[in-house]
Amino acid sequence: MNIALAPRPAVLSVEPDEAFVTLRGVTKVFGTGRRAVTALQDVSLEIANGEFLCILGASGCGKSTLLSLIAGLDRVTEGTIDIADGRPAVMFQEPALLPWLTVRRNVELPMRVRKVGTDERNRTVNRLLAMVGLIDFADSRPHQLSGGMRQRCALARSLAQESELLLMDEPFAALDALTRDQLHDDLNRIWQETGRTIIFVTHNVREAVRLGDRVVLMTPRPGRVAQIWDVDIPRPRELDSFEVSGLAHEITGRLRAGAVGNGTE
Amino acid sequence: MERSRFQRILRGATPRVVAIGLLLGIWQLLVVIGVQSVGDEPLPGPGDALSEIGYLTHIGVLLPALLQTLERAAIGYVLALVLGSLIGLAVVRVPVLRAGVGSLLAGLQSLPSVLWVPFGVLFLGDFAVYFVVIMGAFPSIAMGLMSSYDNIPPITFSLARSMGARGPRYYRHFIFSAALPGYVAGMKQAWAFSWRSLMAAELIIGSTASTGLGQILDNGRALGDLPEMLAALLTILVVGIAVNDLIFAPLERGLFRRRGLTPA
Repeated sequence: MNIALAPRPAVLSVEPDEAFVTLRGVTKVFGTGRRAVTALQDVSLEIANGEFLCILGASGCGKSTLLSLIAGLDRVTEGTIDIADGRPAVMFQEPALLPWLTVRRNVELPMRVRKVGTDERNRTVNRLLAMVGLIDFADSRPHQLSGGMRQRCALARSLAQESELLLMDEPFAALDALTRDQLHDDLNRIWQETGRTIIFVTHNVREAVRLGDRVVLMTPRPGRVAQIWDVDIPRPRELDSFEVSGLAHEITGRLRAGAVGNGTE
Repeated sequence: MERSRFQRILRGATPRVVAIGLLLGIWQLLVVIGVQSVGDEPLPGPGDALSEIGYLTHIGVLLPALLQTLERAAIGYVLALVLGSLIGLAVVRVPVLRAGVGSLLAGLQSLPSVLWVPFGVLFLGDFAVYFVVIMGAFPSIAMGLMSSYDNIPPITFSLARSMGARGPRYYRHFIFSAALPGYVAGMKQAWAFSWRSLMAAELIIGSTASTGLGQILDNGRALGDLPEMLAALLTILVVGIAVNDLIFAPLERGLFRRRGLTPA
C-alpha cells in the first residue's frame, strides 16, 4: 500500500466532491469566567475531497486555532469536526525538523512511528525527496539547509504521513519572496500529483489566491467566517498575473472595508 | 590524511601543553624561592614528584591504587547515573513532584558531599565510599535530565502528537533524543562531582578500606612524605582531566556538532 505518491487511490472512502472535512458550529473559548476569550465563534465549513482551501485572515483571527482543532491538537468548546479519513498531517510555520536526524531520517519519521517496513520506507522516502528536490541532500542535517530547503523537507515529511488531508499553518511566512514563489509552484504541482486535500492558513492575500480553489476570509475577535471566494483562475497561476492581482485586490478591499479589523497583505 | 590527523592532534594538544608547562613553572618558582612546610621541610619540585610517581609505580603501589580508585569511581558513577535518571524521569513524568523535588535537588547539589562521609561510615561501613559518590553525583544527573526536558521546544510535542506517536516510540523518537545534549551535560558535571566526592571520601575514610589514590595522599601526610603526597595529587589531577577530555568532551562535541550547535 502506498498512498503517498499514487496519483489517487483507486477506491476512495469518499467520492470526489463529497465533503472530506465538515465543521459545524465550531466554537473555541480559551480560559473561563471573566478572562474567557472567544477565539472562534460558530464556524461552519465543508472542505471537498481533493480541494485546496485557503483560510485567510489577520493575526489573531483564530485561523491557526482552527487548524489545530482540525489537527486534533486541541479540543473544540462547542460544535463538531468530522474528517472522512484518518489523522491529518500537519505542516507548521517553522520547519520543526528534528536537528539530530538527517533529512532522510526526518522524512521517514512518520513511517517509523507507524512501523512501516524498511523496504517500503526507503522507496517512499526516495520518491518524496525527489519530489521536493532534496535527493542530493538526503544525508545532510537540518542546520546545513537553507530556510526554503528546510520547509521542503518538512513538506516531504508531512506527505510521508500518508494522510489524505494536509494542514498547513503559514508554512512559507518566514521565507523570502523568491523562495516562497518557488515553493508555491512546487506545492501546486505536488498537490496536483498527489490529489491531497489541503487546508492552508495564511495572512498573505496573494498567496491565498494563487494557491486556493476557495479562499475563506475570517474576521477577528471572535473569529468567524466573513466571506468565501471561489477562485476560478486556471493553474498554474502566477503571483503577479492580472487575474491573481485582481482577485487579491478585491479581497484586500473587503479586508479594509471594516468588520475585519486591520487587514494585512 | 595521516598528516592532517597528526596536525589536528597537535593543534588540540598545544594549549594543554602550554597550560601544564605554566603550572609546572609556577610550581618550580615556589621551590626556587624556598617555600617550606610547617615542619621546615622544603617543597619538592615537579621533578621530585615525577620520580616519586616512577618509584611508587615501580614498587607496585600506584597502579593497584589507581585501579582501585577507578573501580570505585566507575561503580559509584554508574549507580548515581541510574538513581539520578530514575529520579529525573519520575519528576518529569509526575508534575506534582516537580516543585518540591526540584529545589531539594538543587540544595543537595550545593551540599559538599564530604558531609555524607560520617553518615556513610556509621550506616554503611565499607559501602560508604560509594554512598558519598552517589550523593555527590546523582543530583547533577537528575537536574540535567529535568532541565533538558524543560528545554525541548514545544513544537516537538505538537509534532509528535500530530504524527500520532505514543508510548515507547514517542519517547524514543522524540523525547529522549531531544533531551540528550542536556543529559550528557549533566553526566559530564556529575563526573566532576563524583570524582571530587570520591577523593574526599578516600582521604577521610583512610585505611579502613583498601588503598586508593586518596589513601596514598593521606598516607604521605601521616608519614610527612611530601613527594608521595604530590605524586598522588598529580595522579588525581591527571585522571580527572583524562576522563573529561577522553570521554565526556568528545561525546558532547560529537553530539553538538551533529545538531549544528556549539558546545557551551
